[in-house]
Amino acid sequence: MQQQAALQIARPKSALMAIAMPVLTAALLGAVIVYGVGFSPIAAAHNAAHDARHVNVFPCH
Amino acid sequence: MLFRRIVLCALLVGALAGLLVSAVQHWQAIPLIAAAEVFEGSTDPAEPATPLAATAHDHDHSHDDAHAHDAAEWAPEDGTERHVWTAIANVLTAIGFGLVLVAAITIWEHLRGRPLASARTGLVWGAAGWICVFGLPTLGLPPELPGSVAAPLGDRQAWWLLAAASGAAGLGLLAFVRGPLRWAGLAVLALPFAVGAPHLAGGPFAGYDIGIAQQMEALAGPFAIATTIATAVQWLALGGLSGWAVARWVRPALADLATIP
Repeated sequence: MQQQAALQIARPKSALMAIAMPVLTAALLGAVIVYGVGFSPIAAAHNAAHDARHVNVFPCH
Repeated sequence: MLFRRIVLCALLVGALAGLLVSAVQHWQAIPLIAAAEVFEGSTDPAEPATPLAATAHDHDHSHDDAHAHDAAEWAPEDGTERHVWTAIANVLTAIGFGLVLVAAITIWEHLRGRPLASARTGLVWGAAGWICVFGLPTLGLPPELPGSVAAPLGDRQAWWLLAAASGAAGLGLLAFVRGPLRWAGLAVLALPFAVGAPHLAGGPFAGYDIGIAQQMEALAGPFAIATTIATAVQWLALGGLSGWAVARWVRPALADLATIP
């Protein structure tokens, strides 16, 4: 598996950026969405997502 | 192209997993929340003296003594409207987790340079995600029923995030690093417990009459089981579907990009 990983490093940097950027952006977007639903202090967001927060064991109240 | 594929996959995966978990919750966890809400707010007559009870605020659905700041805020009506919002919140949460999972599986397959993504390997990713956002946080902060009192919200949220981040970093070290450094992952996993989860003396039902506290305690065990099952279903569905979606829709886009000169 190490050899496999080492082979990848030989790939061009532009391809790495073309892959790393969208992947990181997508993961960040996901974290922001989870934060908005599970952690946002806005009361309306809390009330709408209340039961979902409890079941997903996000700290609530 | 790659970003669009990842987002579309996460939307599909999140919608399916979110609706599935909503159905599961509807018959097991939601009735327990409703049962606990009957008691929620029944500490209030004795409240002013204790800082404990100050954190046990009410929701709009406990009508009699809802705090002013809550009463003024919009909340879904009990019944269908509330269930629909819960399902929307579940789907959004699942889309958010799905984005992270699809992105992680994508970069994993890319770095390893082999077609590894599949429903089966996705299940392993889902299990890891479940450990990060349910397993570890719950070891420190047990699932809370409405009405239970706990340490200040900000402290618990910060500890929850620390536990989830430590879980991801620790499991990542253990799984992907070769050599002795990988065992540092165990120390990272232990970090949130060395810090210690925020708790109040007196337990989650302090301030209630003994009879009510006993009834709420009787709900806490089943609620812990119900949330464990619901979140496990959600994460296995998320993981399996994410692995499948990456293999089907992201892999071709990845192959196109990898040939860029």
